[in-house]
Amino acid sequence: MLRVTNLAGAVESSAELVTRACQGDMGAFEDLYRQHVGRVYGLCLRMTGLPESAEDLTQDTFVNAWRSLPGYEGRSSFATWLHRIAVNAVLARRRSPQGRNEVSMTDEAGEQMDFESVNMMDEATPIDIERAIAALPPGARDIVVLHGIYGYSHEEAAAMLGVAVGTCKAQLHRARHLMRGRMAPERAT
Amino acid sequence: MNTIPFGPRNEPPDPLLAKAAELPKDVVPARDLWTSIAARIAGEPQRARSRSFRWPAALAAGFLVASVSALLTWGLMRDSDPTMQKPVVIAETPDAAIVPVNYGANSGLTVKEIVARDELLARFREKFNELRPETRVAIQKNLAIIQTAANEIDAALAKDPASGMLKSLLIGAYKQELQLYSTVVTSSDGLTRRT
Repeated sequence: MLRVTNLAGAVESSAELVTRACQGDMGAFEDLYRQHVGRVYGLCLRMTGLPESAEDLTQDTFVNAWRSLPGYEGRSSFATWLHRIAVNAVLARRRSPQGRNEVSMTDEAGEQMDFESVNMMDEATPIDIERAIAALPPGARDIVVLHGIYGYSHEEAAAMLGVAVGTCKAQLHRARHLMRGRMAPERAT
Repeated sequence: MNTIPFGPRNEPPDPLLAKAAELPKDVVPARDLWTSIAARIAGEPQRARSRSFRWPAALAAGFLVASVSALLTWGLMRDSDPTMQKPVVIAETPDAAIVPVNYGANSGLTVKEIVARDELLARFREKFNELRPETRVAIQKNLAIIQTAANEIDAALAKDPASGMLKSLLIGAYKQELQLYSTVVTSSDGLTRRT
């Protein structure tokens, strides 16, 4: 079920909450969780395509963030810092035996996508573009999610993914090509 | 006449990327994850209350790793010395006790690198039980040193994920682990047929 959060009502700024959470205030950290869980889960869900994995990874992200909070120096926004942790968690899971055994929607070449299996979003979602992104092979999907949806620059996305900027650009080019090819038949129907 | 345009190119935005940018950024999970998160973090303190910079620890760990292979090579040379009596080895330390280094969530190591390590590890395990007990202990100590280094580097990377120096240190630790396995696999060829 897709629900979109509204952060406008956030009473306390992230900076104040981070300061308190750094001092071990779990209540403040819970408020940070409430403010940021939607974006972290959305990022994990779109990078993995698997709701159950995305839930695990969201939990891992916040647990790792809690552990690392004293080292957060505010050089990037808290949201960006949290996203880096989330991306690291996703990449680590892909490398793990568990992650390697998880069913992928595509192989690395982007073949054998079954659109019917992509049911992570509800009817209100603009399903064609969401499905097309979910159908991409992992490398191409990562850059569309980080750059296309979450607005990170190629340089920021490359740093998060641990790849060269040129690789990001090439993956984006590949993603656009694959998405165009896959969305065209849907448009025709 | 052809002209070369100056200034930023005004390429039309890709319609697919424009659609992607319109997708909702926030997606709420189907269940509240906070309870599980709170249970996990309740039992553990944050890594450090101070905001001390942990790079020095990571650097020290890196230098510690650099000394590993020399110690191991010395141990293996003792193993391969034909003048030394080699007892029949009963494997007090089963190869299952060899735990490969965990580089943590921030390492950025690729699947290919992990698979390469695992393949070498499998060959290493075949040789491990044939080594002298003290060599096996030395190997385990060396792996523990590399693990300590990896932990320190991972902690530092959590704070500074884009640091090239930390990534180099991590790759150095990874190479040391491979070197350790490789040294055993290649050096023990002459030692494996014990009587």
